[in-house]
Amino acid sequence: MGGFQWNIISEYMPLFVEGTLMTLKCTVICVIAGTLLGLVLGVGRLAEARHGFYKYFLRYAVQYPVRFYVSFFRGTPLFVQILLIHFALMPMLINPSGGLIISGDFAREIRSQYGAFMSAVLAISLNAGAYVSEIFRAGIQSIDRGQAEAARSLGMTYMQTLRKVVLPQAFRRMLPPLGNNAIAIVKDSSLASAIGLAELAYAARTVSGAYARYWEPYLMISLIYWAITLVLSAFVQHLETRYGKGDRRQ
Amino acid sequence: MLTKRLVLAAACILTTFAALPAAQAADPTYTVGAGGTYRPFEFETPQKELVGFDIDVIKAVGKAGGFNVKLVSTPWEGIFATLDQGDRDIIISGITITDKRREMVDFSAPYFPADQVIITAPGAKVAGLADLKKLQVGVVNSSTGDIAVSEELGRASTSIRRFDNTPLMLEELYRGGVDAAVGDVGVIKFYIKSHPEKPFKLVYDNKFKRQYFGIAVKKGNKVALDKINTGLKKIVADGTYAKIYKQWFDADVPTLPQQ
Repeated sequence: MGGFQWNIISEYMPLFVEGTLMTLKCTVICVIAGTLLGLVLGVGRLAEARHGFYKYFLRYAVQYPVRFYVSFFRGTPLFVQILLIHFALMPMLINPSGGLIISGDFAREIRSQYGAFMSAVLAISLNAGAYVSEIFRAGIQSIDRGQAEAARSLGMTYMQTLRKVVLPQAFRRMLPPLGNNAIAIVKDSSLASAIGLAELAYAARTVSGAYARYWEPYLMISLIYWAITLVLSAFVQHLETRYGKGDRRQ
Repeated sequence: MLTKRLVLAAACILTTFAALPAAQAADPTYTVGAGGTYRPFEFETPQKELVGFDIDVIKAVGKAGGFNVKLVSTPWEGIFATLDQGDRDIIISGITITDKRREMVDFSAPYFPADQVIITAPGAKVAGLADLKKLQVGVVNSSTGDIAVSEELGRASTSIRRFDNTPLMLEELYRGGVDAAVGDVGVIKFYIKSHPEKPFKLVYDNKFKRQYFGIAVKKGNKVALDKINTGLKKIVADGTYAKIYKQWFDADVPTLPQQ
């Protein structure tokens, strides 16, 4: 084996540094986008009306599509979703020769500069949104029905009830699973190395490919991933103590 | 009559006992690793059977050199480590002989000349390796192309985009995800031939050193290496190699350097 060869790591240091930054960038965007998407989907999943036109509208145009969406993104591997989006969906939308959204030289420019990044962020966010929507659903459903009823009888609208009464209470209970989800996103971003996104796992793949050595690069990125998730879970813990205060008797 | 039969039976038993271990010692079975996504060198049929130029070569080499071949599909990533771990005895997977790889494994005599080529979109203004500096360049991870581009752009450059295999890399080029790609000319030409709907331009550069594919064994495995080299010499001499070559490639059969 010949011991742990630090020089391999130091030679490829720029790749590890850039890879870490890329992983962080990916994580931050996907956590934010995934949470927002999850909020919309989670509320959509629960949308219902007692009677009239809205009863059917909410059921068939909102609830069922959301259910279908969540079921698809939770029921297929993220790895497959990344490849599907990068090599099938994105070329359809952004393509030098007749993309639906962007085409021509600008499309070529965008794809070559940000193609892998956009696909990875899109795939991971869409996937995270599906999981987060279930967290929101569970959180909202965990709040006693009486809370919403009381708010409605005070004259609040549906949205006001949700924003001012239900969601703040639900958010506290949702923090631990949301933190869990963010940590999962950090690690899931490693799957984007398959489409050539230069993140952490990509750096390790490059080094192991060049030297046929596996300890150094993979141990290195394990430590970096671990450090990132430690910082993240500390942050979530901080939020929990902050937003959990209302529940505690002083 | 009875004694005659007895003698015959005894003789039969004796010869089988004598022949069995001898036959086993003469023809060992080697586990051969080859990647499954390197058309036309090695790829898998729908029946999960490995086929290709490399596969035909190693089978012929085995027959001529006196060993049996047990093929196992092995992904390119981590393929060298399988020799050290003893999972494979031999790997043949379009492996270019380089000095760095010589430090890790032992190579047979060259069995195929491997030239690198730049591939771009038809309109791109790329005349050679030097023009790749400002571009996003696709390569197959740790391939010869990767090594050549790494020398030009810097080993840790983030303008190099590494992919698992050639089809994935060329798909990305076709979709405009990279501006150019570098790969083995044999594989690239075969891909273009089977995908005429994708227009690519090939750019040759003399700066690519001519290199050769070799068959790899674990460092110090002289027994296997000698058998491979003997077999290789035989199939080149008796025309089997030329027959296999013509079956997979249109071009004339190259002369291989002896070493």
